[in-house]
Amino acid sequence: MTDAQPSPVLPVVDDVDTGEFFAAAARGEIAVRVCSACRADVHLPRENCPQCGAFSREWRVVPPLGALYSWTVVEHQVHPATPVPYTVVLVEVDGTDGVRLVGRIDGRAELEIGQRMEAWFEQVDDVTLPQWRPIRTDEESTA
Amino acid sequence: MPDQTWTPGACSIVGIGETDFSKASGRTPLTLAAQAARAALADAGIAPRAVDGVVRCDMDLVSAPALADSLGADDLTYWGEAGPGGSGPAAMVGQAVAAINSGLATTVVVFRSLNGRSGNRYGLVGEHGAVGGDNNYEEFFLPFGMQTPGQFFAVVARRYAHEHGLSIDELSHGLGSIAMAGRAHANNNPAAQFHQRTMSREDYLASRMLSSPLRLFDYCLETDGAAAVVVTSTQRARDLAGVHVPVLSVAQGTGRGVQPGQMFPALLRKSITTWPSAATAPTVFGRAGVTAGDVDVAQIYDCFTITALIQLEDYGFMAPGRAAYVTPEDLSVGGRLPFNTSGGHLSEGYIHGMNHVVEGVRQVRGTSTNQVDGAEISFVSSAPPPGASAMILGVDR
Repeated sequence: MTDAQPSPVLPVVDDVDTGEFFAAAARGEIAVRVCSACRADVHLPRENCPQCGAFSREWRVVPPLGALYSWTVVEHQVHPATPVPYTVVLVEVDGTDGVRLVGRIDGRAELEIGQRMEAWFEQVDDVTLPQWRPIRTDEESTA
Repeated sequence: MPDQTWTPGACSIVGIGETDFSKASGRTPLTLAAQAARAALADAGIAPRAVDGVVRCDMDLVSAPALADSLGADDLTYWGEAGPGGSGPAAMVGQAVAAINSGLATTVVVFRSLNGRSGNRYGLVGEHGAVGGDNNYEEFFLPFGMQTPGQFFAVVARRYAHEHGLSIDELSHGLGSIAMAGRAHANNNPAAQFHQRTMSREDYLASRMLSSPLRLFDYCLETDGAAAVVVTSTQRARDLAGVHVPVLSVAQGTGRGVQPGQMFPALLRKSITTWPSAATAPTVFGRAGVTAGDVDVAQIYDCFTITALIQLEDYGFMAPGRAAYVTPEDLSVGGRLPFNTSGGHLSEGYIHGMNHVVEGVRQVRGTSTNQVDGAEISFVSSAPPPGASAMILGVDR
């Protein structure tokens, strides 16, 4: 058997607490859990709100924009499906109570904490992963 | 908050034991655990059959009854565990103290055993099946390339530099000082895996980048081995042949908003540059009735250099943002805070915080290979994240 292509690391997409995040991503949206009672964002997603104690299953769509909170360039190979070098970014999403999401950029990205980032949606097999990249200000940036 | 009652020094560590530390033990974790536990019991002068309590780490492959069985214990009346993972060791000693003080057990073995190099290595992502679900939240991290503890702490380190206005070179200076201090102590410790390998600042800076800004020598040593201590009441300890070391305090803490899961979700904490160690600090010092300034020697959990650096600040040994300016001399015997005097996880071996407990006991006994003269207040920390625990050992008066 010659299986040259390593299997990518894919998320569970049907979890009762987190599945809607990936369902929204498949529609091209970033969604976060929000408490139906006190309207606090509940990230990581779960039913029980730490702020007010209510249980709810509401989500809200947020802008696919954020600010770079931190990052690392990974040089040491761990998983064969994520070849090095690559950059892992931690992005704080606009208009949220400090919701941060992780994304991968191929290669050694030139970055600065606080810079503007935008989401894009990567299709891997039958799963959609919201990824993050710097917002380019030059004219070639249109995807 | 309701009143909590803590009696400093009610229980003591009366025995310490370790196996050799290696990359390939050639033994099972049960064998390693039994060797460390029997060594600790022999050190205490207690017959193994008399053990009636065992506390394990929640990630250990050895169950408490399995170790009791290997020790030939007559009856196990208490077993417990703490964690997650490296948050455990000080908390595990706390479990033993709580069991003894409440009458559930008299003689408790606390252990950690792992084939951390030849067996289950950390940071390896499974090759099959989707990740996450059931509130472990790995689905938000592993598929996006955040896959190892080193990558996690690299993101923390860069954020730390940013918040304190440090260049990456300045950050690396502080991280290098921590690595060098541990290494120099390992060079005096024949049991340390890096006993024979010296390291200059140039050597540190020349080590290869694994996940920027963290280099190879910012990472701890994957290790096979085990460490154990024996805890009993201080009253009983006074009748034993060996030197007992009272547990002046032990504390666990999470603070608010600790986040679920084992590690990666901690990137969602309000701050990723102060940790549950900051919440644990007032408890552990308050219970012992001492301050950070009273500490003679500290064993600080160092899965990575940055983990130790942040705790130096969280526990109040240095002001926020100042630990990056530490020098190897500051952290050496004779310096302002002798640190990880066995070599720690970075240079002795990674027994998941348990070897730090053992070294903390040696310092009070005066038997360390990097002995601090007259050490009486000996501090030990475990993890964070996700929670933290810490203890202060002292002398019986």
